[in-house]
Amino acid sequence: MKKLTKGDEHIRVKTKGNFHQTLAPMLFLLPNMIIFLLFIIIPLFQGLRMAFMDWGIFSVPEFIGLKNFGNLFKDDVFLITIKNTIVYSFFTVVLLTVVSLCLALMLSRNSMKGERVFRAIFYIPSLLSMIAVGIAWRFILGDEMGIINYVVRRLGGDGIPWLTNGNLAMMCVIVVSVWASSGYYMIMFISGLQAIPSDLYEAARIDGSSAWNTFWRITLPLLKSTVLVVLVLATIASFKAYELIVTMTKGGPGYATKFIVQQVYQVAFQEDRMGYASAMSIILMIIIGIFTLVQFRIAGKDGQYD
Amino acid sequence: MKRSLAVLFCIFALFSSLFAGGSKEAASGDVTLTVLWFNDANESDVFMDTMQDYLEANPNVKIDLQVIAFGDYEQKLKMMISGGNPPDVARLTTSHVPILASSLEPIDPYLEDPAATKAEFMPSMLAFALDKEGQMLAYPTEATANGMIVNLTAWENAGIDVRELSKTWTWDEWEEAVKQVIAANEGMKYGLAVDYTIHRFATLLYEFGGSFMNEDQTAFDMVKEENINAINYFKHLHDEGLVPESVWLGSENPTELFQAGLVACHIGGSWNINTYNTNVKDFEWTVVSTPKGEINSSVPGGKFIGAFKDGKHKEAAMDLMAWFSDKAHNEKYCLDTFNLSSRADAEIAYPTNSEEFAVFQHDLSVTPAFTAVEWGNAKVTQLSTFMVEQIVQVLLGNQTAEEACQAIQARAES
Repeated sequence: MKKLTKGDEHIRVKTKGNFHQTLAPMLFLLPNMIIFLLFIIIPLFQGLRMAFMDWGIFSVPEFIGLKNFGNLFKDDVFLITIKNTIVYSFFTVVLLTVVSLCLALMLSRNSMKGERVFRAIFYIPSLLSMIAVGIAWRFILGDEMGIINYVVRRLGGDGIPWLTNGNLAMMCVIVVSVWASSGYYMIMFISGLQAIPSDLYEAARIDGSSAWNTFWRITLPLLKSTVLVVLVLATIASFKAYELIVTMTKGGPGYATKFIVQQVYQVAFQEDRMGYASAMSIILMIIIGIFTLVQFRIAGKDGQYD
Repeated sequence: MKRSLAVLFCIFALFSSLFAGGSKEAASGDVTLTVLWFNDANESDVFMDTMQDYLEANPNVKIDLQVIAFGDYEQKLKMMISGGNPPDVARLTTSHVPILASSLEPIDPYLEDPAATKAEFMPSMLAFALDKEGQMLAYPTEATANGMIVNLTAWENAGIDVRELSKTWTWDEWEEAVKQVIAANEGMKYGLAVDYTIHRFATLLYEFGGSFMNEDQTAFDMVKEENINAINYFKHLHDEGLVPESVWLGSENPTELFQAGLVACHIGGSWNINTYNTNVKDFEWTVVSTPKGEINSSVPGGKFIGAFKDGKHKEAAMDLMAWFSDKAHNEKYCLDTFNLSSRADAEIAYPTNSEEFAVFQHDLSVTPAFTAVEWGNAKVTQLSTFMVEQIVQVLLGNQTAEEACQAIQARAES
């Protein structure tokens, strides 16, 4: 730790009594902190408390200890939703990272004609509401009324059960999620790529490094912090996927695309088992926390993600 | 320093102004009633139109109508109630009333003659609106009935007089006839679309002699032969290709399939009349009695308006609801929204579709009384999505109908 010099002490003494630098920032932060406390921190602890209760939205809560958590692991539907969520998240995060990185590599050089137009085109889907995206893709992929199957049938085919076959429905949901979000992560990668000093590429070119070699030896290592941020954000977003799934498949066919958040909503607001739903949310929070920690560990074990 | 203080003062003033509205209203005697609403078609517009003379007669009252998408409606309403800030008045379905019963303000204490008021409504609709003590918790507004809507043009193309046939037909006869209809109409692929809800499936369930509850309505009783038969028959219709998989497995809208002329029949409800009047241009349609299983049955339902115990303007809310539910206003509202009235004394001359309304009324009249009591049970509503999921598992071949019934029973008892 750096030792304070006489000059530093002078600065600290001066800062101590300065309204602009001490109290004023805190006061300006206060409204945001109050909102954060009211809508994030208090509900978090409220949710934790509720997970140990037998509680409907209009009934008096009754403490039942760990019973909700015990029941969760005997609940087949919950276990299916966990499996579905992990499968969906794995493929979505991997594809999102690869696709958005590829897009960024193509569109970050300022050398291609119409590059900005393409950036805008790829970014636009991430501005859309996931509900609108889900409804639009349901019209495209619908078995009977879908545009793709209409064309297939006009060409003499039978139509493809995009949303009525479990595996195809899961694939469709993953592909649409990647389509809808890759533009957002592309922008993050572009800013990361543009922060890499160009003289490194210049040196690599002079040394005769191939494009492939340059990517693995220069681009990817220096993009590590951005990759980690994308991985963490995409993982959290995919574990919380709800609107797109509900509007596109309603979690079906059967339980094929039903994820944890949809099950939490159903149990809480339709079956009126708020305590049980809170226990599910706690498990979801723990899973997201574990995955995020693992990603930090893997990507940042040599301390280069800052 | 001065500038910072000035900015902080502005923020404080802004926050203060946000909370300053209430006292101004109280001082002037003006009342703004918050009305939470959802639409099947154009009901919110008709509601405001119907209440126009009420607003003219009560210039101190304003209506703040908040229209919420039906998918979000129940959650929004529950959150408002549990947060201690319910709307003054809310539109409710048959499933909302039992769930919200403990939060609804009983209407009887606000009535001069509660018995006379209750007698104004159809007994089957009133049954949904009463609490255990027999107090009215909400005013019934519209009655609904499930039923079979058919593509009349397609049936005529097959040379079948569906109006005549449907007077006595059974499900076997329907199956035989609808195959001819599909064969006679190019572009028609399916015989029947059933809405993806347990309420619409209940039409089949009741027709096969089934029920969700036991005979005295005291407990869930799903595991019985009639229920298993109903689910198996529904699977049979899917396996035969008479019902499109895309509705129950792929979340496609059956109304759109019917409008597109892809299905010969649709098990929907009386609320579809308005929609099909607007959207169906390419063929004629009508309503016929649902084929007979063990019995003939519809599923009764309806809409209501209620006020809440924690409401801020209960007197005014009760006044508005009484006005909206009286004979003249109810008739106007039901006429303009193409709905069946829930009043026993309503006389509505619909400009069109009187034949269709008559079929729905007839189907309701032969429906067993216990069906209304079942749908007044909160458990049936709470388990509705789970029940649909279990039936879908049967359609997918992942479990038998009996296993589905056992799973539902186990969930109900847990």
